[in-house]
Amino acid sequence: MSLERKDEYDHGEWMREKELTPVEQTFLMTLIWMDKRFRIVDYLEILETLYYRVNLQMPKSHTEQYNLDNKFWYWYPLYALGSFSTIAYVVAALSGALLGFYYAPATTGDPSSAYNQLAFIMTDLNFGFMLRSIHRWAAQVMVAAVFLHMLRVYFTGAYKEPRELNWIIGIILISLTMVFGYTGYLLPWDQLAFWAGQIGVEMSLSIPLAGEWVAQLVFGGFSLGQATLQRMYILHVFLLPFVVTAVIGVHIAIVWIQGIAEPH
Amino acid sequence: MPDSDSDDAGAREVVVPLRLYKVVTVFSTMFAVAFVVGGFIVLDTATQRASLSISDADVPLAILGVAMIAAGAMVYAFATRFRAEGMGKPKDGSDEPSNNG
Repeated sequence: MSLERKDEYDHGEWMREKELTPVEQTFLMTLIWMDKRFRIVDYLEILETLYYRVNLQMPKSHTEQYNLDNKFWYWYPLYALGSFSTIAYVVAALSGALLGFYYAPATTGDPSSAYNQLAFIMTDLNFGFMLRSIHRWAAQVMVAAVFLHMLRVYFTGAYKEPRELNWIIGIILISLTMVFGYTGYLLPWDQLAFWAGQIGVEMSLSIPLAGEWVAQLVFGGFSLGQATLQRMYILHVFLLPFVVTAVIGVHIAIVWIQGIAEPH
Repeated sequence: MPDSDSDDAGAREVVVPLRLYKVVTVFSTMFAVAFVVGGFIVLDTATQRASLSISDADVPLAILGVAMIAAGAMVYAFATRFRAEGMGKPKDGSDEPSNNG
């Protein structure tokens, strides 16, 4: 289904004339056996074709410009990590929007209203356990995928000219992702959240000169309370979603315009 | 080994047709992910998410979990020896010397 003609070869014939170790032979036979039954590669080739049809961007990448046939690097699995992060972000956004119907950022009562709402979501709400689990796992996966995406970009040299700006934007994004994770971590307002918040306050206070100002601004005071939880909540559900979505949009737009950097 | 471009010792490379390379990269990645994620699930089950003391943990199941994680990593690493034609380490395939000229 790809634009190029398919390789014409016969699995058995090719395997015979090749000198392979028994392990390699078994490995390839197993994967070919899978391929004959689950035609995943065919569907991915449709996606590849779609990519070429849709992505008529300027400037073209080197292989596209000179119409070289070595476009195999589209098939490197680690090149999917950016998309993977984006998908995790969308899943977290959708599940988070639904969680917003049931959560309340209030520290009143013992245990706090916030924690009570969390317990309600986890135990009484239909599909609540699943909803919060999806949100939590999407967040974990996004942080991991973003970090691995950064490693991939670094080790394939994709940050080099002319993509320096997008690398900087990526650094901003990975930082904002961690702020996203931290603010969300405090929302349950249980012991884990409270003491993570305490660490955050003390880290802020350790900043020279601006420390007290930062602690006031981000945590609403030097000791944790209603102001802290409310600020974390507003950061998590109002400020960061707009900022991060916009920056991700710019990040992907630049990739679209410049084309994916090929390994070199 | 006539088929392998043996540049350095221990770095065996097997050149395969592009379509087969796609099969290798897609399915080996799927196997690796399934093994690693499954291994962690098994390990979590054996140790009840690392909350049990060592004497209470299900040791054979825990070892199975670790083995599955290792197997996933091995599948991924093993698959990297297969390359499509025209593919290779850029610094070896390039016309330019890799010694800053």
